[in-house]
Amino acid sequence: MTEQPSFDHRPDPELGAALRAALEPSGGDNHSAFVARVMAQYDNALDRSSVAMLDVLASWFRPGMVAAAAALVLGVLFGRMVFQTPDTTSIDAAMAPVEGPGLAALVTAQDPPDASVVFTSLVEP
Amino acid sequence: MGVGGGEGGDQALVAQTLAGDRAAFGALIEQYAGQARRVARAVLGDPDDADDAAQDGFLSALVKLGQYDPRRPFGPWLMRIVANAATDRRRRRNVRRVEPLDAALVGGGPRPDAAAVRNELGERLRAALAELPERRRKAVVLFDVEGYSHAEIAGILGIPEGTVRSEVFHARRRLRTLLADFKEPIR
Repeated sequence: MTEQPSFDHRPDPELGAALRAALEPSGGDNHSAFVARVMAQYDNALDRSSVAMLDVLASWFRPGMVAAAAALVLGVLFGRMVFQTPDTTSIDAAMAPVEGPGLAALVTAQDPPDASVVFTSLVEP
Repeated sequence: MGVGGGEGGDQALVAQTLAGDRAAFGALIEQYAGQARRVARAVLGDPDDADDAAQDGFLSALVKLGQYDPRRPFGPWLMRIVANAATDRRRRRNVRRVEPLDAALVGGGPRPDAAAVRNELGERLRAALAELPERRRKAVVLFDVEGYSHAEIAGILGIPEGTVRSEVFHARRRLRTLLADFKEPIR
């Protein structure tokens, strides 16, 4: 081995060459058999990846549909809750006497109303 | 920059592969087969397992080729996939196939004939590599064998550059200690 410092920023050519020789495939393999072997799987790999993609999409489909339906229902319910206006009451119904003189008396009377009448109309439903 | 094709050549081959040109992918494999097999063997030890892992890596790269950023060098991107494939395969193995080191290999033992020295050197190197932590093995092989820079190795292994330097340093120190007896024969 070379005696250069271990913490060298340059590759050690001798160690590199020795390691390369140790890791090379045996028998003077020039990689052509390996290349052929990988290429034999070329179509399978692409097919598998597209099938895998479809599987992923299929696995997402059912839960996705359920989630979308649930979101739709919740949205409709929420919308109805938020935008629902209270029942309207006609002006005649509002002015109709409930008991005693009621609201009409308060509006049409010449004299100021008696306090008990005012409080009665406020307290009564 | 690691061993491999010129960047422009690699980018062209990638583009042709993405366009459906099988031969272009074959050329990429041819270009990087040596590196991929050596890196995988550094991780796995066994040459057959290493070839399986290298094949997994190439096919995985083929499937992910659309994710490759052509502004960056292709070699480190590919080596990251190959190294991960080797690591995955090693994890899947139920029994780790690192044989205990032969005392004769570690301690020197009787010197064989000169003709067998290189074979024994290879054995000792593989045994010495097998003793190293996996990340250290990858780092020293990528740096000293494949010629990648510390920064590129940091990208391949997903670790800081300083850690790469440290891993290479420790790997070299260990390998040189174990191989001291072969100092003269390999010259």
